[in-house]
Amino acid sequence: MSAIAMDIRRNRLMISYLIVAALLVVLAVAGGLLSDRFLTWRNVGNLFQQLIVLGMVSLGQTFVVLMGGIDLAIGSLVSALTVFLANFLEWRPDLVWLALPLALVAATAVGALNGLLTVVLRVHSLIVTLGMSSVIFGATLMYRKEPGGSVPRAFADVAYAKVAGIPVSAIILVAIFALAGLWLQRTRSGRSIYFVGGDREAARLNGLPVDRIVVLAYALSGLCAGIAAIFLTARTGVGDPRIGVALTLQSVTPVVVGGTILAGGRGGVLGTFLGVLLVTMLNSLLNFVNVSSYFQWVIQGLIIIVAVGIHTSRRR
Amino acid sequence: MSNRIIELSQIEKEYPGVKPLDKVDFAVQPGEIHALLGENGAGKSTLIRVMGGAVKPNSGAITYLGQRASWQSPKAARAAGIHVIHQELALFPELSVAENILVDAQPRGRLGLISNRARHARAAEILAQLGVKIPTHARIDELPLADQQMVEIAKALVGKVRLLILDEPTAVIAGHEVDLLFENMRRLRKEGVGIVYVSHRLEEIFEIADRVTILKDGQVVGTSPVGEISREEMITKMVGRRLSQIYPARRAAPADGPDILSVRNLRAGPRVRDVSLSVKAGEIVGVAGMVGSGRTEVAEAIFGARAVEGGTIEFDGKPFPRRVPKDAIAGGLGLLTENRKDEGLFLGLPISANIMAPDLQAVTKHGLIDRARERALAQRQIKDFSVATPSPDVKVGNLSGGNQQKVLFSRWSRIANRLLILDEPTRGVDIGAKVEIYRIVRHLADSGVGVLMISSELPEIVGLSDRVFVMAQGRVVGEIQGEAIGEEAIMDLAVRSIERQKATAEKVA
Repeated sequence: MSAIAMDIRRNRLMISYLIVAALLVVLAVAGGLLSDRFLTWRNVGNLFQQLIVLGMVSLGQTFVVLMGGIDLAIGSLVSALTVFLANFLEWRPDLVWLALPLALVAATAVGALNGLLTVVLRVHSLIVTLGMSSVIFGATLMYRKEPGGSVPRAFADVAYAKVAGIPVSAIILVAIFALAGLWLQRTRSGRSIYFVGGDREAARLNGLPVDRIVVLAYALSGLCAGIAAIFLTARTGVGDPRIGVALTLQSVTPVVVGGTILAGGRGGVLGTFLGVLLVTMLNSLLNFVNVSSYFQWVIQGLIIIVAVGIHTSRRR
Repeated sequence: MSNRIIELSQIEKEYPGVKPLDKVDFAVQPGEIHALLGENGAGKSTLIRVMGGAVKPNSGAITYLGQRASWQSPKAARAAGIHVIHQELALFPELSVAENILVDAQPRGRLGLISNRARHARAAEILAQLGVKIPTHARIDELPLADQQMVEIAKALVGKVRLLILDEPTAVIAGHEVDLLFENMRRLRKEGVGIVYVSHRLEEIFEIADRVTILKDGQVVGTSPVGEISREEMITKMVGRRLSQIYPARRAAPADGPDILSVRNLRAGPRVRDVSLSVKAGEIVGVAGMVGSGRTEVAEAIFGARAVEGGTIEFDGKPFPRRVPKDAIAGGLGLLTENRKDEGLFLGLPISANIMAPDLQAVTKHGLIDRARERALAQRQIKDFSVATPSPDVKVGNLSGGNQQKVLFSRWSRIANRLLILDEPTRGVDIGAKVEIYRIVRHLADSGVGVLMISSELPEIVGLSDRVFVMAQGRVVGEIQGEAIGEEAIMDLAVRSIERQKATAEKVA
């Protein structure tokens, strides 16, 4: 094999990043041409404000996919948490300091339970999380069938807060992604996510605590869903038992667009971050040119299929 | 020319930057077993794929049965009577033997539906033709590997086969299974079928082949009748240089001192019934036996990757009760698994990460992995074990089989400072890399590590071991030391014990 061919193979992930970055530029230029309001400071600010929800669920999904699984309970979990938060805060607006940690702990626990079930029952993660999703969705609807609840003003402000014109939520998101990247690349547990995703049996024979790593990945995915739910509740001001329905699929799109392989073990958070930017920008652009949200669903589905198709064909 | 089944002339295949085939001439006559020999990467598999229709050459001509041919797909080549049996068998493990044999020729009954009865009848007929007794209703995954291979050969006989290509068929079978395979190859040869036989094992080529063609770096370096070429000439042509000695010198004196590992009456699952063996520091102990005799399972049990039902395992004179790989690793034990792609390496990760995987704490400071230190440690191992790579950042999946194996040695030799267990350490590795691996193993033993080596290649066991345990059907049936170690002595133990057990069983019945 020639050195150049080797080099290209080695930097396959780099190429994924470049492609996504190029698409981002194309979208920005197209948006600018289609509407003179698209590239305004105000719209870009809005765009960044929206990043955190999709960003967090996609980050959680990235951990699980890298580890070799998939988490299909994310959407239901986010819905349930918004219902919990909005109703709790309507009842006791003064207990924000308690409600938020409670939501995060619950989210992490549900994630860990997903992981435990795949480890103990040895059932495929697809089934475990799909089942869990149904359980959570049903239970939430039993409690509240319609959107309801409310949040205190101070809490709602968090979603829209800005520092030097930059949305606080976007800053938090970037910080969390940076931490996640550092963790995956530079710690034993983070690296182990790649080992387990790359080859579970090999990981076991290398003396790695495989089961703990699996549970950890799902727990982190739950935690991420919790953070997403907090910002979503703050922004919408209500708890909606159906708000997360589309979020599960949406959480997978940036992951695969960013070059993380569904089989696990390859990819990273930088790709996911670029994927989140791309999807968010595309949706914003489609809104600008008045494409219906139904058609956005169609596009979302096509993107995910095409992205996986491209990555698979480039691997051959 | 009428006496050729297939004739390739001046075949060239080029990919960007690589040329796996460079003006290759190759021909097979009817009723001939033609061995194809070469190191990994010499172009054997590309040549096979050209003949099998899976790869289209850039230039050159293929003449098949006297006519110019150019297949568009493996299916077209198969329809023309060319059947390739790949090293990794293309069987459906959950389906029956009959369904597998007739996979693309399911017999139809009335109404155009697949007829179950006709299928089993036809499959049984083909198996009988091969002289093997395999139940047509059995599921593939219930069969031993050798039988699975026979099913693969049976598939070739469904249509009219003119050219049969076997890619390293003996990599997964041993002993009388190989005999059975060879018997069937001879039978097909008598019927006028041309056979291309790819193997690393020179002994087999002398036993079965009529002619041999040697490839090196995509070029044919020689074709000659097997009787007119010596073993040494073959190796020299294949490697491109003379190999003065394949096996390093043995220990001058038998190892003394206490046992590092002492296993007594071990039982673990159906394949490990009664195993006792021991390893001393600085000693290479071979474990011989047929595939399926329980050798791999013993290794897993010692390493803590398989539950133990009975017996004792002592490590450094102390009982070794804890049963997970992590503890074994902490105690200075290493296991190079048989199936390095599935159980050993992380193909998508860089060499450095692979080498350090079981020992990340060594490069972790304040909770963070020190990349520079990781690379430096990996670099040192790469150099010590002469892994051919430009940098420790290259993904292991991009390395050749021999180099992958060296990465595994790099990994385990760092931390396994007491005992290293090797399961088929040279499988799928070319002869040049084999010689290097033998040196590495001997070097490790000389440095005081105990080595327990499982291998199906008898020459390797004989050439390298200071002591040999022979296993058969889950039991250790004998121990041979020093000068007494020889292929015949080992086979004798393995086979005789099986016969004795059979006789006992019959007596009881």
